[in-house]
Amino acid sequence: MNKDSQMRAAINQKLIEMGERERLKELLRAKLVECGWKDQMKAQCKDVIREKGLEHVTVEDLVVEITPKGRALVPDSVKKELLQRIRAFLAQHSTL
Amino acid sequence: MKMENMSLSGLDNTKLEALAQDIYSDLVEDACLGLCFEVHRAVKQGYFFLDDTDQESMKDFEIVDQPGVDIFGQVYNQWKNKECVCPNCNRSIAASRFAPHLEKCLGMGRNSSRIANRRIASSNNTNNKSESDQEDNDDVNDNDWSYGSEKKVLIRQMDNVLFSLPGELSSSVNTDPYKYNYNTGINYETLGPDELRSLLTTQCGVISEHTKKMCTRSQRCPQHTDQQRRAVRVFLLGLSATSLPDSNTAVESDGYDASDGQVLMSRLQWDGSSDISPSDSASSKASTNNSDSKKPKKKKKTSLNSTGGGGGGSGSVGGSSSQGCLAGQANRKKPKLPVPPAPSIYDNLN
Repeated sequence: MNKDSQMRAAINQKLIEMGERERLKELLRAKLVECGWKDQMKAQCKDVIREKGLEHVTVEDLVVEITPKGRALVPDSVKKELLQRIRAFLAQHSTL
Repeated sequence: MKMENMSLSGLDNTKLEALAQDIYSDLVEDACLGLCFEVHRAVKQGYFFLDDTDQESMKDFEIVDQPGVDIFGQVYNQWKNKECVCPNCNRSIAASRFAPHLEKCLGMGRNSSRIANRRIASSNNTNNKSESDQEDNDDVNDNDWSYGSEKKVLIRQMDNVLFSLPGELSSSVNTDPYKYNYNTGINYETLGPDELRSLLTTQCGVISEHTKKMCTRSQRCPQHTDQQRRAVRVFLLGLSATSLPDSNTAVESDGYDASDGQVLMSRLQWDGSSDISPSDSASSKASTNNSDSKKPKKKKKTSLNSTGGGGGGSGSVGGSSSQGCLAGQANRKKPKLPVPPAPSIYDNLN
């Protein structure tokens, strides 16, 4: 297990160092906007805000409400493409 | 802490897959967090709800999704067969013909000024009987237009319209001047003698075999010869009159009076009497005695041949001049006048 966590840390580090993580993040954001996920989530936010009141809503409120729904609403195609890219990266850089 | 050299190849696939999934969910969570921060800032800054309108307006401008209609609810070819009312002449015109009609109606386009200028020019021509020779260069090759005839045909059309439809004066009279008339000839049967004469002085007038209409080009039109023009004039105005301007001869028209003829004849007699001498007796005989022939004849000083009606006269001139010189020569002693060359032909005979 120690090895695993170490390994994970190493891989994450590599991901960041090579800039791949940023690229993946941008790709994901673009795809979510394209498929309309962002507008859907904004509508959800409006509901939360109306519920909590415009003046008193906090970041925590939003995060708690929105994140689970957001994870569930990501389209399958976007998910698959991202996973594919991650696997490719892992396969490419298997040796440290 | 020293990092050991590790290789992922030691990991089996499930762990690899789990690793990928973890990385993926980290990325998605980052995206969600980013969205939350964005929304929160918008709320706190007050611009989150700006792009919303009230419910009623949202319903009014909702996207339409019906067949045959675009997303705004408009029909596609609604205006194709519409009729528009012209603000100038108050007629209803089809939409696709509206723009050209307006150009002519308002007199502001390129073509409409050309038509207007032509009309003015043609009305000046027929009113003043001025020469249309200035326009010859344009007209000769122009199959569409002719001046006098076009206006006359238009006037006749307008007259017909006026007589037949008294109730619709304004519209019909207005349309005719703006219609192109491609009629290149006139039907001579409908014209009176005066009109014919005035037409023939300004236009070619040769009658086409196919259409039985007179040619409306100028006197120098290249399609017809002078002989054709002369023949047409003889045909239309009678044997005695040929109004064709001829450079060779000084031909007189019907207005040739008997009194003028007598003066001519007396002049010719004097010519004969002044030349009385033994050597010239033949020529004097030939020159005089035009008084014997009282027929109205052409005054031809250069040649004996004359077309049409002059044919009979020339024979008599020749014959009578040889006969009767003796009748006039005794009584008259007049100053010598130039001898016409016509008798010279009979000198050879004598």
